Amino acid sequence: MRALDDKPVSRARGSARLWWLLIAAVMAGLIAFPQAMSSPYGLHLMILLFLSVAMGESWNVIGGYCGQYSVGHAAYFGVGSYATLMLLQYKHVAPWWGVWVALVAALVVSLVIGTICFRLRGPYFVLASIAVAEIIRLIVLNWKQLTNGAEGILLADLPALKLGDTVITDWLSKTPFYYLGLALALTTLLVNYLVQHSKLGYYLQAIREDQDAAHSLGINLSFYKNVALAISALFTALSGIFYGLYIGFIDPPSVLGVDLSVQMVLICIIGGIGTNFGPVVGALVLVPLSEALRANLLTKLLFAIGVVRESSAVGGFLKENLAHAHVLIYGILVVVVILFMPDGVLGFAKKLIARGARQLSEAPQPLVGGLHGPTRD
Amino acid sequence: MRPDAKKARRISSRAKKATFFNIVGLLTLGLLFPAASLAQTVKIGVINSVTGPEAPIGENLGNGIKLAEEDLAKEGIKANLVWEDDTGKPQIAMSAMEKLATRDGVAGVVGPYTSASANAVAKLAQRYHVPLLVPAAAKEEITRQAYQWVYRLNAPANIYAQVLLDAVTEFGKPKTIAFIYENTDFGTSTADAGKKYAEKKGIKIVADESYSKGSPDYRSTLTKVKSFNPDLVFMVSYVVDAVLLMRQAKEVGLRPQAFLGGGAGFTTAQFASEKDISNSVLTSTQWSDDVKWPGAAEFGQRYRAKFGKEATYHAACAYAAMMIMGETAAKQGGDRKKVREALASGKWNGIMGEVKFENYDGYTNQNKHPMLVLQIQRGNYIAVYPPQFATAKPVFPFPGW
Amino acid sequence: MRVLLQSAASGILIGGVYALVGIGLTIIYGVMRVINFAHGELLMIGMYLTWIIFTWLGVDPFVSIVFVIPLTFLFGAFLQTTLINRVLNALPQNQILLTIGLGLIVSNVVMLIFTSDYKIITTGYSSSTLNFAGLRLSTPLAISLAITTVITTILYLFLLKTDTGQAIRATAQDRDAAQLMGINVKRMSVLAFGIGTALAGTAGSLISPTYYIFPQVGGAFTLKAFVIVVLGGMGSVVGATLGGIIIGVTESLAAVYISSGMKEVFVYVLFLLVLLFKPSGLLGSSRM
Repeated sequence: MRALDDKPVSRARGSARLWWLLIAAVMAGLIAFPQAMSSPYGLHLMILLFLSVAMGESWNVIGGYCGQYSVGHAAYFGVGSYATLMLLQYKHVAPWWGVWVALVAALVVSLVIGTICFRLRGPYFVLASIAVAEIIRLIVLNWKQLTNGAEGILLADLPALKLGDTVITDWLSKTPFYYLGLALALTTLLVNYLVQHSKLGYYLQAIREDQDAAHSLGINLSFYKNVALAISALFTALSGIFYGLYIGFIDPPSVLGVDLSVQMVLICIIGGIGTNFGPVVGALVLVPLSEALRANLLTKLLFAIGVVRESSAVGGFLKENLAHAHVLIYGILVVVVILFMPDGVLGFAKKLIARGARQLSEAPQPLVGGLHGPTRD
Repeated sequence: MRPDAKKARRISSRAKKATFFNIVGLLTLGLLFPAASLAQTVKIGVINSVTGPEAPIGENLGNGIKLAEEDLAKEGIKANLVWEDDTGKPQIAMSAMEKLATRDGVAGVVGPYTSASANAVAKLAQRYHVPLLVPAAAKEEITRQAYQWVYRLNAPANIYAQVLLDAVTEFGKPKTIAFIYENTDFGTSTADAGKKYAEKKGIKIVADESYSKGSPDYRSTLTKVKSFNPDLVFMVSYVVDAVLLMRQAKEVGLRPQAFLGGGAGFTTAQFASEKDISNSVLTSTQWSDDVKWPGAAEFGQRYRAKFGKEATYHAACAYAAMMIMGETAAKQGGDRKKVREALASGKWNGIMGEVKFENYDGYTNQNKHPMLVLQIQRGNYIAVYPPQFATAKPVFPFPGW
Repeated sequence: MRVLLQSAASGILIGGVYALVGIGLTIIYGVMRVINFAHGELLMIGMYLTWIIFTWLGVDPFVSIVFVIPLTFLFGAFLQTTLINRVLNALPQNQILLTIGLGLIVSNVVMLIFTSDYKIITTGYSSSTLNFAGLRLSTPLAISLAITTVITTILYLFLLKTDTGQAIRATAQDRDAAQLMGINVKRMSVLAFGIGTALAGTAGSLISPTYYIFPQVGGAFTLKAFVIVVLGGMGSVVGATLGGIIIGVTESLAAVYISSGMKEVFVYVLFLLVLLFKPSGLLGSSRM
């Protein structure tokens, strides 16, 4: 006689195997992508996607796991990119060395901000994080001798990456950036996973759920919050550095602005906060959406379907203006998510799948499974 | 069946012969009468600030280009324009340039408007080997990087300041100057050029105030400047700040010998229409419709008739730039390398006067364009300097509020 | 000395407008404990309403307040009943995110309708000044300060003397106790949000003759409003008034004596200092 729980185990093992196959397939696809895609635009979209994933996953450590909603993360993004680009452009320090200096700078900034802001709770912490980021932005904007102020830093070409005498890449195409971005995104996913399944993650979630209870259990609030922020800051800074090197131009509004901070939070919230894959889902929703709007693809689609005629007043209006509506869509998504999908799109999808699975499993079945019941695998 | 087949073959061979002779005929006609042949098509990219804070000025550039499109058509050139909106942000201008260079295969690009965007795009034009003709951006650096693929039609920032200071030192004897400018690429580079030239002319700089644009309140800054009693106040702003600054300058009672506006916001109809505050402001410009360059006056009339407002220098610069790019691209059959060479060696004469891109004083492919000083008198722009372009006497010093 | 007085004077004038924005925010927080990140956008709505009324009906911006107040009040009530009400019991972080999203929606819808072109209202007195004790005061700002004083006084009297006003204050003090006493706290929330929106909208109208109008104008005001409210004490109307004036003067003096570009830094530094050392603000009770 077969054990009662025979089926579920093999089913679980089977589905786990399926998952791994899926992941391997996706990875293979991602790695092979640049060879298949000749258009730099396709690569550009994927790079934007990787960047968004990295930003979202980095924020997730402090915002999702630790529950401290910083809306001033642009500070680390900007410090990272400014430090690296200033060293590269003004002191000719290659970015693979400059990045270490930038990371140290971001770490220092995160410790300072943490010390100031972690005394505050909830909404006050949010406000303080915004204020600090704005102060940094204004300092960078006004300290012209150091940062070139509002004019920003426009990079001359990047030095070629050499191993001995062989040139690995001269950075002139998008492919090296693609792989770098992919590596960055995967690293942040890994870091998130490690944090989540470590003791640190345990403490962070305790702090998130009830700070005072955690404190009474002997968890050193200030220490762990700062650790989470430091990790988050490091990877946000890396994202900033990547952005600066890829685009080749940074200025205070683009890397230190409040909109950037808000965007990082949105990626996480829309996807599903406090989960490993949430920011990936968020990035998958937001990046193609904003590009589709910007390139007027959505408008063209509406015209093609025939919902709106191009020559009509509405059509003309859409053509002119829908391209700028992507921020509007972000706003609508956030409101919808907060009101109806508090676990984000990922959580919502999981619920749907769970509900679907439950309905399937609720089909009539003999109480004792196995011997006579239908096989499922 | 067979007789039909033979007949069909005969007919088809006759048809083939007819088609052959038709084609030869058309080609001959085409060679003999080029204008009668199908219009030549060139694909040219345009990067402009269609939306965003610079949109009102971007609109002028766009209108100028549209007029050029019409005139090129009259010459038998069909300009297939790919319009890109940079929303005033350099990063977006950069991706627009990438798209034009790699996906749209344009023969050349005209634009962008702002100094920041133009500088960022210049680098990409050089990298992708696409001829770029900058119509109206002031930042000097744009043509000081030895980029062989970047050409600029308008005079750079140092001339903005130079011509203004030359003018006022001829009208009177100012000894001190205050600078108020927005801390952007455009504001900083123009103000820096102004400071250098002021020192050269022996005018003492008594105040140097850069502001973050978008503030509602410049009163305290203006009060501070007023306390130094400057003879000249040199301002560099886009439209709305220009209006606010002048309004608040009037409020605090700032009264120098002259208000100097470094182009951009100070040269728009919107600014001039605020008669309370725009009267007697001197501004430097690349163009005015009462200069004696060929077609300038007609361009001004045409623009007014078509768009219902006065043409600014941005419109004229953009028009001339598109005419040059369109004609050159057509003549060179859309080949980027040939277009570049033609731009480097060519000479034109139009509503912007004589245009020739030269290398001098550290500039590469820069047109030596003379600038004018306009003064707003009762809501109208009047050219007052240099003497060969002046149409009226300047009001100097500032008559007060 | 002259410069100091003149700067302080213009600081007070602009501070009056800031105060109005802050009062609206503090009422919303006091009654509903909601941190409204869309407050600046509500001000922007007021500005656009004023512009529409000015451009299409030719009504002077100050007179148009008569229309702006009820319209923005209704808009605020609408927002409260449809959106804000649902998150009254949610985590404060979620409330913040909801209002951020709301702000994005409002500012971008306005951008779609009116484009992001900057608009300027020019009236006959846009650049005139009054002479007061040897100081030059901007006429439109002086008028707006006068109107602000009137509105604030009416509001204060409303909150102190009328039944509804007292009900609002009771709800702010202790929501559950107020409910037990028979106050319809739901209606109080709607009222509070409506009043807060109306105040922000009015501030927008008042500042429109002296500033320019564009869809993203709200952002800077939201942050400043928070600074004012924290400085004055969350939930305190008098505190917000004082806070507004203090911030206005600080900004003005910083622009003169340090640099125009850095004046906001001082405001934010002041903000952080208050948050760290006296989080209850000047006149509030500790609500941390």
